[in-house]
Amino acid sequence: MIVADRKSLDEIQEMIKDYKKILLVGCKGCVTVCNVGGMKEVQVLSSILKIARKKEGRELQVEERTIERQCDFEYVEQLRADCDRFDAILSMACGVGPQFLAEAFPSQKIYPALDTKFFGGAVQHGIWEERCAGCGTCVIHFYDSLCPIARCAKSLQHGPCGGSANGKCEISEDVDCIWDIIVRKKMEQERLEDLRTYRAFKDWRSARDGGPRKSIREELVQ
Amino acid sequence: MNETFEPQIVAYCCNYCAYAAADLAGSMRLSYPSNVKVIQVPCTGRVDILYLLRAIEDGADGIYVAG
Amino acid sequence: MSDNGLKSGSNLEKILKAGHFAFTGECGPPKGANVEHLKEKFEHLRGIVDAVNITDNQTAVVRMSSTAASAIMVAQGLEPNFQMVCRDRNRLAIMADILGAYSLGIRNMLCLSGDHQQFGNHPEAKNVFDIDSMQLIALVKMMRDEGTFMNGEDIDVPPKLFIGAASNPFADPYEFRIYRLANKIDAGADFIQTQCIYNMERFRDFMKRAVDMGLAEKAYILAGVTPMKSTRMAQYMAKKVPGIDVPESLIKRLKGAVNGKQAEEGIRFAIEQIEEFKEMEGLAGVHLMAIEWEHKVPEIAERANMLPRPKID
Repeated sequence: MIVADRKSLDEIQEMIKDYKKILLVGCKGCVTVCNVGGMKEVQVLSSILKIARKKEGRELQVEERTIERQCDFEYVEQLRADCDRFDAILSMACGVGPQFLAEAFPSQKIYPALDTKFFGGAVQHGIWEERCAGCGTCVIHFYDSLCPIARCAKSLQHGPCGGSANGKCEISEDVDCIWDIIVRKKMEQERLEDLRTYRAFKDWRSARDGGPRKSIREELVQ
Repeated sequence: MNETFEPQIVAYCCNYCAYAAADLAGSMRLSYPSNVKVIQVPCTGRVDILYLLRAIEDGADGIYVAG
Repeated sequence: MSDNGLKSGSNLEKILKAGHFAFTGECGPPKGANVEHLKEKFEHLRGIVDAVNITDNQTAVVRMSSTAASAIMVAQGLEPNFQMVCRDRNRLAIMADILGAYSLGIRNMLCLSGDHQQFGNHPEAKNVFDIDSMQLIALVKMMRDEGTFMNGEDIDVPPKLFIGAASNPFADPYEFRIYRLANKIDAGADFIQTQCIYNMERFRDFMKRAVDMGLAEKAYILAGVTPMKSTRMAQYMAKKVPGIDVPESLIKRLKGAVNGKQAEEGIRFAIEQIEEFKEMEGLAGVHLMAIEWEHKVPEIAERANMLPRPKID
């Protein structure tokens, strides 16, 4: 899923400081699963913003809505009838959400309430970790389905670098060295020879480096 | 804040202990300050962050969770 | 390979090829454009070492570019070993800088991935890592031996560089380190400089493996030495620098030195190391990284009987 964190209250307050009436929109997709932009978080943020505004001696009206997915115009349309009643819309989706809202409602002012972080999953309740960099050409079959592009701080295709110590990455003791895990797995399975293979220069065109990406599924295009 | 300030306290009380105690205090004709507003909850486990936020939003100065 | 049988014709290559025990030094470019200071540092190394590594934004701290500092060194009549990290350049800049470096008279190049920018003084930077150190080695070899760019296009006057790579026998997982070294040699490394060695026992084992695998015949291996200036430096390196193995016995030895004599004890240990490396099977030289201690290099070289350096035409 796409994992996000909520922006600080100060940053959100600063964005909406000139508005009296906002629509706060949650998303039932990834950000609900990672507990940052679902119905519950919308209610909490709404309440916090109202309290904060009250402390300033001003009023803020917030209407709360949580739609199925903000990355789908079909669901975004559900907001159309109401969206003009507000001074601005604050989106609690990943970075895709506010952009879809902005495209659907060009005259409205749209703001993001979240910082979108990475593609990953929950390794335990409350902790999410990155697993995929979305580079567009998956190579994890070379590495026993462990991705050095996303999980090595230097995206090394031939690791581990000289900074790997005690299974940890040189950047922080809180970061596992993925290359240490790859090597140990290969050794356990007696397939170390796989890591004697030279890997070709990566073609980054399929990654963001090749420009904004698009995926077209001909059979689905009407 | 002046010296006569009396905070409005919302008390979320568990049905089985704190609320029962408050109830018993009532039957014993004991009094407690009127600025404490008791709200009965089936269990303090039911208390949600939103209960706390909404109470503050609606003017409470403090919250008391008893259970 | 050129007519004389040399890949680059660098002094370092000639010394190694002739079978001499090589001695390389290291010099960090200034945190500024202080050319005079840089030249002063060079003078400590003149005639003392066969080539001098010029670091490339080492520990991710911004300094004068390694290309510029190497070119200044060439102009001063010393031989640089130009370091390049993959952190700060994409493949276009890498190839351009390789050609530039060669054009400026640089003949040795050490290929590195580079410390992560988080260590440095601009941790907010975007890193590149378009290719890694293994691929950088292969790229320099491709440019030199095939005379082509990465895309296969011909290079008009290919860069003839003596290709170096780094090896850290003390990083984890230890069992894999020798294979990574083998990979670098297979990719095209002509010479190897190791991370600084303090745990001699582990290094002896590492070299034995290198010899057993035939690696010492395929590339020249230079053992890394960094003299300890103090117990504090030793403790800092033991605890804070990932991939550096400082045994407790060395820290004890430095602690045991009389006050004010810890640096001397550090130098003594370095000299003992060099003496042992000269005899160690598979080693072709020593790489002395006297960090901000260039002026001590002549003394260490003298006491370790590394002087005079051989001259080869």
